[in-house]
Amino acid sequence: MKCESCNKKYATVHLTEIVGNVKKERHLCEECAQSVNTQITKVPSPTEILTNLINQVAPGINELSKIVCPVCGLSYLEFRSHGRLGCPMDYTVFRKGLIPLLEKMHSSTQHVGKVPSRAGKELIKKNELMQLRNELNKSIEKEDYERAAELRDKIYELSGDNDENK
Amino acid sequence: MMKISDLADNTGEWLRGTGPESDIVISSRIRLARNVAKYPFLSRANVKQKKELEELIRTKIKEADVDPTLCYVNLSELSSVDRLFLVERHLISREHAEGEKERGVAFEKSENISVMVNEEDHIRIQVIRSGLELKETWKTIDTIDNKLERKINYAYSSQFGYLTACPTNVGTGMRASVMLHLPALGMTHHIEKVFNAVMKLGLVVRGLYGEGTQVSGDLYQISNQFTLGKSETEIIEIIEGVIPRITSYERMARKALISESKDQLEDRVWRSYGMLKVARMITSEEIMHLLSQVRMGVNLGIINDIEMKTLNELFILTLPGHLQKLEGRELTSSQRNIIRAMYVRKRLEKIETLKG
Repeated sequence: MKCESCNKKYATVHLTEIVGNVKKERHLCEECAQSVNTQITKVPSPTEILTNLINQVAPGINELSKIVCPVCGLSYLEFRSHGRLGCPMDYTVFRKGLIPLLEKMHSSTQHVGKVPSRAGKELIKKNELMQLRNELNKSIEKEDYERAAELRDKIYELSGDNDENK
Repeated sequence: MMKISDLADNTGEWLRGTGPESDIVISSRIRLARNVAKYPFLSRANVKQKKELEELIRTKIKEADVDPTLCYVNLSELSSVDRLFLVERHLISREHAEGEKERGVAFEKSENISVMVNEEDHIRIQVIRSGLELKETWKTIDTIDNKLERKINYAYSSQFGYLTACPTNVGTGMRASVMLHLPALGMTHHIEKVFNAVMKLGLVVRGLYGEGTQVSGDLYQISNQFTLGKSETEIIEIIEGVIPRITSYERMARKALISESKDQLEDRVWRSYGMLKVARMITSEEIMHLLSQVRMGVNLGIINDIEMKTLNELFILTLPGHLQKLEGRELTSSQRNIIRAMYVRKRLEKIETLKG
């Protein structure tokens, strides 16, 4: 049998399409079938996309997908399909879903670094301490004990502000 | 208000070709993403909120006294050629040029500093400098950020840091990038090795105009991918640590080319230089390639009658937006090819007559 599309090569692919109640058979060569196939696969329904998305990430996400931010109205599913958050509040509302995502992206879920001065002295100190601890771990890894001792003293000094015995 | 055409005669300071490693490192750039607290991010903001944000940020930038020469341009009032021109100048991003409604950019005379308003995030501060100067660049941008922060309440959380519209920017909100000219590594096909080494450090390599743009003229941008979990200075140290290794690798590749195929290399460089001086039509892709070859030729002392600044500038001044601005009208691509060739010939003739 010759391919019904190009009429040149032998038909090796046999498709059965059902549109409404009409059954339609098509006999195509491999090349022509491929172009037909891509046309078919291009149009998955929105529900298919959603289920695919959900299954891909995790079964537990079903619960997450129901979450909608009360402030900006963005749903977790919308966020996952566009990759953009709607408002600062989303970081709290979608926290459960965001944590593994951030871990994958940045290999971390805790900010280290600049703190806006209006965020308060305590927070600035907390962040400074965190940075010092990071550095301390690094210098221990490098076996730079002199630097490690320096850092340890600094950490004591900073955190000591809270102690009563000082 | 200033006119965009006032800019067309000169270029930004970051193209001077000065600073550490400036034979290979064209520029260092840092940008910070910031958002105003209690407002939705732009994708969820309505027209009224966008307008409020634009007005608020514009006023606060003025009050913050960032730089005395700072001026503000409303992008919705500009033609598409003018917006393209600003993209080519690295003053705004492509996304910002193509955005809609209320948005703008503030920049100062030397074009080192720009603040985009209502891009993907409410505020994007950017500082560029010539050569490998990330530490200095950080100092400048940190100061600007502090000044703005006194006027604007940023969206911030103690766990996630500066909150951004895209979670890939959250934390420091910082992207630090270095633009490198690596013709010899490209020619000897060692560039892949560099990419692999860089990727292992969590850094990414991009083309001249950032995300998703193609590499042309052997120009590459290396920047950090992660923004959470490492401090700004730690991120900068990682990048500054790897760049000297890449530049010395490039220098080694150049040396190898000279010792192994000096005649071919010199021929390539001189042919490129000749082409720039005589061609009547040059495409934007071709000129990148020619300028890249000549730039390397100048670095290697093969050509010595042209300044690095002139070459760096030509990379930008011969781009489509710039040519159309120069001519004061819209041009088709074949018209641009003619104007481009004419413009380069004129610039290089000036050098010839200066010598004579």
